Amino acid sequence: MLRFVLQRVGYGAVVIVLVGVVVFVVTHLVTNPVQAMLPLEASVAQRRALTHQLGLDRPLPAQFVDYVTHVGRLDFGTSLWQRRPALEIIGERLPYTLELVMVAMAVASALGLLLGVLAALRPGSPVDRLLVTLSVAGLSVPQFWLGLLLIVLFAVNLHWLPTSGTGDLRYLVLPVVTLAMPSIANLAMMVRSSMIDELNQQYVRFAVAKGLSRARVVGVHALRNASIPALTLAGWELIRALAGYTVVVEVVFGWPGLGHLAMDAIERQDITLLQAIVLVVAVMVVVINVAVDVLYKAIDPRVNLG
Amino acid sequence: MGRKLDVAGRRLPASLIAIGVLLLAACQSGGQQPAASAGARITIALGSEPTTLDPLARDDGNERAVTDNIYETLIKRTADGKLEPGLAAAMPTQVNPTTWQFKLRRGIKFTDGEPLNADAVVATVQRVLDPSFKSEQLSFLGSIVGAKKVDDTTVDIISKDPNPLVPASMYWLRIVPPRAAHDPGFASKPVGTGPYVLEQWVKGDHITLKANPNYWGPKPPIQEVTYRFVEEPGTRLSGLLNGEFDLIENLSPDDASKAPKVATVDGGQNSLVILNTMSGITADPRVRAALNYAVDKQALASKLFDGYATVENCQFMSPDWFGYNPSLQPIPYDPTKAKQLLQEANAIGASIDLTSTSGRWLKDREETEAVADYWRAVGLKVNVSILEFNDYLNRLFDQKNRPQAIFLDHDNALFDASRTMDAYFARGGTGTSNNDPQLTQLVNAGDKELNQQARLQDYQQAAKLACDGSYFTFLVRLKDVYGLSKRLVWQPRTDGKIFVSEMKLAS
Repeated sequence: MLRFVLQRVGYGAVVIVLVGVVVFVVTHLVTNPVQAMLPLEASVAQRRALTHQLGLDRPLPAQFVDYVTHVGRLDFGTSLWQRRPALEIIGERLPYTLELVMVAMAVASALGLLLGVLAALRPGSPVDRLLVTLSVAGLSVPQFWLGLLLIVLFAVNLHWLPTSGTGDLRYLVLPVVTLAMPSIANLAMMVRSSMIDELNQQYVRFAVAKGLSRARVVGVHALRNASIPALTLAGWELIRALAGYTVVVEVVFGWPGLGHLAMDAIERQDITLLQAIVLVVAVMVVVINVAVDVLYKAIDPRVNLG
Repeated sequence: MGRKLDVAGRRLPASLIAIGVLLLAACQSGGQQPAASAGARITIALGSEPTTLDPLARDDGNERAVTDNIYETLIKRTADGKLEPGLAAAMPTQVNPTTWQFKLRRGIKFTDGEPLNADAVVATVQRVLDPSFKSEQLSFLGSIVGAKKVDDTTVDIISKDPNPLVPASMYWLRIVPPRAAHDPGFASKPVGTGPYVLEQWVKGDHITLKANPNYWGPKPPIQEVTYRFVEEPGTRLSGLLNGEFDLIENLSPDDASKAPKVATVDGGQNSLVILNTMSGITADPRVRAALNYAVDKQALASKLFDGYATVENCQFMSPDWFGYNPSLQPIPYDPTKAKQLLQEANAIGASIDLTSTSGRWLKDREETEAVADYWRAVGLKVNVSILEFNDYLNRLFDQKNRPQAIFLDHDNALFDASRTMDAYFARGGTGTSNNDPQLTQLVNAGDKELNQQARLQDYQQAAKLACDGSYFTFLVRLKDVYGLSKRLVWQPRTDGKIFVSEMKLAS
């Protein structure tokens, strides 16, 4: 088990290094932070001077060596725009994203499991068909559109909830629903199909024949097996929410998280901040992956950890 | 500039926004308004968060929107754009060609107790000019090289060359207290002389300012202002409709009819196409004239911008900028004449490359496409390339290979033609596409001319040359459009500044 974990962490480290190199090269090749920082009418000389002061006129390999040595010392550099350590800025924003993602994934897992099981109990029934239709809808609706729709309905029209920002729990409702929607749909579909498979297995019939209650057969025996693929999917959904969906959701709801920060950094060509965000997210993705693999093993002893 | 359209607009396909807006219209009901004015608090939604509250570091409209209420300048402008004394006791006098002398008001203190005196002004100038400080505001300061204390309330601002722009520049230099500015945390702990002080800054979420109890000037009616940061225009509008915000900026003309109240002002955003007069078909003045006659500017203003724009008078400057030429008239929409000119130039069927970008300025892409269609209608082949903003800038700034025709939205925070003309008229300008020695000579002369009348003539003459030679395709000047809550009373300013002290609540 330990060997397995170490191996996974090792792979993860390789991935993080590769991501770091790619992001460094790409950001330096396709951006020109000074152009974005100075007004259009700034003179050529003013532009050249700021480029020099930021050290962006040095050869790329020299900048890369500099970058690697700093990152090696866990110094992720200073944001070009905010002139503060990138890590400090990320530290301020990450809790907002974690709060949003954790709540959304908890909601998605609970609802996905519940709806999936509900649909699987009577495949083809009206309940099942309704849930399948809703899942397809939930997967197909673009999140920014869903977000704006919810704002119009529940904030502007009904005045139940605020349109944007942070504060008490009411502020969390709309972004959580928007972020969780595709994951609920995905998980429900996955749980439904694996549950249907499990319920047709011999051991289920045997358990029923032995006189176990239907609730116990479904809720304990079948669900445990059916939840293994769902767990992998939940890991994936968590990663996708953390590294992608949050950008759209946080921007639409003015939520001050990491996705919003990444969007700002791209827009402003704040390359040091962007590199730091990508590395931090890459580390989180690797950690989640390792955690999912370990959990997988814990739930299903048949899994070969090689 | 604050007027710059924020990014979020470009990510949402227009059709989806349209659906959202239709829904908005369909289910619009009476918006709930915040509780009446106990202590007069308001909330303003900005397009994004200020990256710093250090008023000397960045060129960022969102930072200015906040710090303009905390810090003050030696010189300020009236709402309609005229310079007047701010922290200075009077307008400055020029004691020699490179020195402007400012007398300061007496008895003003920063909120940490430091006095506003000559030392503070000298320290501010030194701070912003220090190369290691990496200020992005140097383009507003021209050739200023330093400041010298004469006595406690008199200070000289010194420039390398004769610099008629110093008074206007001083509207951009917010004066900071020397001692507090040394604090490493100064960027998030601002200390100014202005009508408001920082109450709270929750990074990423909001900034709250409170009225400065010891303010030297008239007490402002608004006691507390909270800034929220909402990038997505649809969410901003929803927040205004839901009564969460009192003021939102950059309201799209398409959404103006939905806001509880709209305030507009003739803005400083001028759209144009820079034509390359050195090569290609645009080297022929008849072709350049045709490109102007071909475009129905009035239709752009009334249809594309729903009337929130005016036709430019053959110059991409606003009437309140120094150097604006009031005698110039718009080039009329006359497609027949355009065709005839193209025929004379033997350019019918010739192709022209038009470069532009998308999502940077209000309806930039749509305006570019409209211009291209007008050009096509008179018999040209137009290849439009809409580039990502960084690629677009690379083209705009490319000195070796000038683009044939490039769309641009120009604004000029200095309100002085030198900034416009140095960049787009004169040789060596970052966006200059002509090689007319007379134009360069006029602009260079104006930049150094200390006699205001002679200086004005230089710029107006240059503007006339550019108009007569059709060096640009002159389009429309946009209005700034703000959405207001029913209770907020405020008239926007031509300089785009958002001074909370000029706002009040309807009783």
